Amino acid sequence: MNYSRVEITNKYQGHHLNSWVNEARDVFKMDLDRMEETHFFLIESEKEISTDTAQKVLADSVLDEFNCLEWDRGEASFAIEVGFKPGVTDNSGKAVEDAFKVFNCQNKISTGKIYWVYGNLDRKDAQRLGREILANPLLNQIQVYTIKELRRAERFKHISLPKVKISGTGEVKAIDLNISDSDLESLSIERCLALTVEELGTIKKFYERKDVQTAREASGLPLCPTDIELEVLAQTWSEHCKHKIFAADISYSETSEPKYGPNLGSFKVDSLFKEFIKNTTEKIKKERKLDWLISVFSDNAGIVSFDEKVDLCFKAETHNSPSALDPYGGALTGILGVNRDILGCGLGARPIANTDVFCFAPASLSDYDDGKALPVGPKPPRRMIEGVHKGVEDGGNKSGVPTVNGAFFFDPNYAGKPLVFCGTVGVMPKKLADGRTTEQKGQKPGDRIYMVGGAIGADGIHGATFSSLELDENSPATAVQIGDPITQKRVMDFMMEARDRGLFSSVTDNGAGGLSSSVGEMAELTGGALVDLALAPTKYPGLKPYELFISESQERMTFSVHPSRTTEFEALAVDYSVSANDIGEFTDSGYLELRYNSELCGKIDLDFLHNGLPQMKLNAKWEGEIYTRENWYKGAELSEFNGVSNRSFLERSLIELLKRPTIASKEEWVRRYDHEVGGATHIKPFGGKLGEAPNDSGVVWLGPHGGEMDNAIAIGCGLAPRVSLYDTYLMAQFSVDEAFRNIIASGADPETVCLLDNFCWPDPIYHSSKNKDGDHKLAQLVRACKGLSDICEAYGAPLVSGKDSMKNDFRGKNGYDEDIKVSVLPTLLVSAMGKTNINSTTQASVRSSDEKVYLLGGFGEGLLGSEFLEITKISDSELPKINLEGNFNRYKNIHKAIKDNLFNSTHDISEGGLAVTLSESCFGNGLGVEVNIPDNSLEVLFNEAPGRFVVTVNPENASKVEDLFGKDAICIGKTIMEEMLIVRDSKELLIKKDILELQKAWRTELC
Amino acid sequence: MLVPKVLVLTGEGINCEKETAFAFNKAGAESTIMTINELIKNPSRLFDYHILALPGGFSYGDEIGSGQVFSLKLKNFMGEELKKFIAQKRPVIGICNGFQILMKLDVFNIDGHRKMGLAPNRSGKFINKWAGVKVEESSVCLWTKSLKTESTLPIRHGEGRIVFLKDEEEKSYKTLKDQGQVALTYTQDVNGSYNQIAGVCDPTGVVFGLMPHPEADLFKATHAVDNRNPLEKSWGFGIFKNAVDYISKNEGTWK
Repeated sequence: MNYSRVEITNKYQGHHLNSWVNEARDVFKMDLDRMEETHFFLIESEKEISTDTAQKVLADSVLDEFNCLEWDRGEASFAIEVGFKPGVTDNSGKAVEDAFKVFNCQNKISTGKIYWVYGNLDRKDAQRLGREILANPLLNQIQVYTIKELRRAERFKHISLPKVKISGTGEVKAIDLNISDSDLESLSIERCLALTVEELGTIKKFYERKDVQTAREASGLPLCPTDIELEVLAQTWSEHCKHKIFAADISYSETSEPKYGPNLGSFKVDSLFKEFIKNTTEKIKKERKLDWLISVFSDNAGIVSFDEKVDLCFKAETHNSPSALDPYGGALTGILGVNRDILGCGLGARPIANTDVFCFAPASLSDYDDGKALPVGPKPPRRMIEGVHKGVEDGGNKSGVPTVNGAFFFDPNYAGKPLVFCGTVGVMPKKLADGRTTEQKGQKPGDRIYMVGGAIGADGIHGATFSSLELDENSPATAVQIGDPITQKRVMDFMMEARDRGLFSSVTDNGAGGLSSSVGEMAELTGGALVDLALAPTKYPGLKPYELFISESQERMTFSVHPSRTTEFEALAVDYSVSANDIGEFTDSGYLELRYNSELCGKIDLDFLHNGLPQMKLNAKWEGEIYTRENWYKGAELSEFNGVSNRSFLERSLIELLKRPTIASKEEWVRRYDHEVGGATHIKPFGGKLGEAPNDSGVVWLGPHGGEMDNAIAIGCGLAPRVSLYDTYLMAQFSVDEAFRNIIASGADPETVCLLDNFCWPDPIYHSSKNKDGDHKLAQLVRACKGLSDICEAYGAPLVSGKDSMKNDFRGKNGYDEDIKVSVLPTLLVSAMGKTNINSTTQASVRSSDEKVYLLGGFGEGLLGSEFLEITKISDSELPKINLEGNFNRYKNIHKAIKDNLFNSTHDISEGGLAVTLSESCFGNGLGVEVNIPDNSLEVLFNEAPGRFVVTVNPENASKVEDLFGKDAICIGKTIMEEMLIVRDSKELLIKKDILELQKAWRTELC
Repeated sequence: MLVPKVLVLTGEGINCEKETAFAFNKAGAESTIMTINELIKNPSRLFDYHILALPGGFSYGDEIGSGQVFSLKLKNFMGEELKKFIAQKRPVIGICNGFQILMKLDVFNIDGHRKMGLAPNRSGKFINKWAGVKVEESSVCLWTKSLKTESTLPIRHGEGRIVFLKDEEEKSYKTLKDQGQVALTYTQDVNGSYNQIAGVCDPTGVVFGLMPHPEADLFKATHAVDNRNPLEKSWGFGIFKNAVDYISKNEGTWK
């Protein structure tokens, strides 16, 4: 073997390292002057690579400096070399391998970067810089050199590529379950099974059955389960895959009268999912005679028909645990994962829009109380925000799916686990050329099983079970992995053509549980499957059969292909540079049979696998508002407040609100997402003359995607986690209402809206020492479900898909070795998709002067749960109220008004209240507003009561608007030429602020 | 009238092939989307088409420089065919990633050498924003001929800053400008590009490379500032129409 090292330094580097330099200076107080980066490539090749070839392949003659002999940057104080640990996905390396293939060189490549660090730093600083900013020790090898040391290391002579060395090929173990309960518990922990002793007991009992034993003997299998069998059961039965809590038998009771939401009394629920979600949708479907629900709760995503020509798939997922440990990889695999859900929906849909919603701890939490609130293990907020964002950026941009809508929500309770929600809309033709209905899968016994896309590695083993556990400082690094958007894009392109040519009979994605879940699920329809794991391509040798089967290595889809189409299927894969491997066949044997080189290593009864899990029985006890919230995070304490809402206080409050991370501008971040690839984004994240006013929802035009020429969909989202501090029943309703408001503001028809529910909860299962308030948290979940169900019925909006993530807690240490537990606020993300039309949409930005400004839905009341209360010492005991019937009627009227072109702009009132909404509508269009409000100004300006909008109307349309809305529309003022926000009550001037000054405050950096 | 045939190349991470094909089709052409692997099996199939389009995207993930691997593949497997295609004055457009690929294929050489490149944006970050663009009067580019001088187009790139070989900037720029190759500029500095260049053409004007995305501005429906009257044609449409007209009006030349 030949080894060589090449280094490429771009002579025209941008300023992308500046933010890290600033962070090192400002946060770590390092005397860092600047940094520069060089890419290195380690090449292992059979033939010697000539310098010419290497230069041709790797360097641009104008942009790059090429080095293959000892060199350095003599003035730098340190060179920090960051490479990959063995087995970590190296996308650059893969691209370079492809590039060398053009010249017929089959090489192995590993890549990395050298950061040249200039300034007055010591070694400790440099190490910290490497560990905490430049790299992630879970994934990267980090070497810190002074320039002298670097020279001595002779890096161009001593070259070694990171390699995985494992030796488990073909190894299968039998696992004796005939052991004590405490040993069963240890077994579950050691193998990361996330199964309870009771669940292991159920498995044990099944294996002790006479008929089972006889069958096993006949097959030559050991009587107790083999490791692969146990692992498959653990994946399939994991909370992540099976949603045991949502399926549980729950007794709900209240030991304290709910103060804000309704008293629900005591009752039993047989599955929250069935009772409050599925039945709610069925009831709505029946009552409203909906004909546009094509497939709900049965496939990878909900499928609806808002168009004569195409159907739409809609789905959102979370990727919280992986993102806590490796924010970039976690979010990247999150977005690519939900794209695969869409790809694997029916016979395949094409993703056309992404959404992303993040809940983070604010960056300022690191400074609070000397960082005592920060857990050890999960990344600190700055890394989290930056990494997650970059992951979504690369995932969407590189695979060509526009990110059209999203939100950032900040609260200190997300310091242990961030919430990373990724959603996708897909489009599929109603019928394929061969007459098959696209939404229906059709695998049959005898069809071949194909694994398509990436190869299998140890990365991603135990993802499903890992995410079903709380995090601690020892959480496994194998659960973390990096995605490869280009491989996925190739798979996507390949499968769209394969679908249209009728080359496969069914498809599903490889997500949690890997092949074990995808093949296991698909086998349910045919009644069995036989897989030879030795046929699956791997990233490196040495993986055990069970590892091959449960690994969640990314970018893989599982197909069923009729034997007569396999040649064509494989040939097409070659055209798209996609790997497609026949690994077995679907059968009707009743078993999932697993072999390795024809040797049987497991045979699982499908009925037991899918139906053997006993239902959990749980208690839910509502104990009132037991949350007490420490006053640990205050952006500003406006302590000068003396009970009088005077002008200076109100103006300062508004400025401080605009700087709050949840409210502040995300433009700097959002513009790094490609939000218009596909050429169909009708309403973009920002609007107005200069593209600076934030819009409420993203609108995607269906015409270019094969739909009716003027048809479109609006996509929005809502969440209200802070309301969970008071009552989750209302939290759920506020979330739905916000998602609705977002899309209504853009012109969606409220009678053609479908919703997704994504619950992210702190552990709701009682444990006498570890989780004493588990019963209460479960009661919060029950109340949220009931609240959700009630509002869905009132708005007539069906839930079409959803997901839950139930262990969003961190238990471990902070940096001072003190025990801490951080649990997320009970959070429900609601995503809404509504039908609209490109001829009648509105945006948030006001259009011209002398438009009349109307408030729709009243002045609201109650400051509890508001951003305003987070920054002041003012107390209020009132939570805003929600009027379901009133709101829905208003939404219908708004739709009518937008259709009749009565509104020039529409913006919903959400975080920050009326004052923030008015400010945002003026950003970047050179105009201002002047309004009059009632005398309880504080409450009017800052309450976040749902159901409300600010709209602007040309004077000639005013009477039409007033006729349509009656008392529900209150004219509060007009737009003006002056770039000012002017607010008065009956007595005095309350706010008079330059819009540019407000906008400057709003543009506060997040971190 | 001849219906021009357009080859829209895709695969390996190109991702704007659909809207690019849609653009040509709306302008009266007939587009075929084909993967690069399919095409290099028989590169002479290139001559079944009048126009070649290299759409935007992230071929090979932009790893080791945007367009690098894709252009190596094109150059190695069908470099001669491409040269011939261009010599026959068949129009070629490279948009965003397509422009980055063209740049590395030496079609915009100055005095016979590669002196221009597309470097990372000065900010070092990807940006999606509508930018003001201006058609250069002195340009020989057929794609921008007689379009309204100023408009806006979306930019969506991380590596779109035009730079010239160090120490030869002024001279190279002057040559480019004098030969009418500066086709499109930004009205403001959006990425640090030299003299705000947004797009260039080859000396004959048939090959056009640009960073902004005209295929995302075909109809008012996707316009950032004013999307009312959504089905009215927008400025970007004219770019595709120009090439389509160029072919259909020269009926006979291409047989």
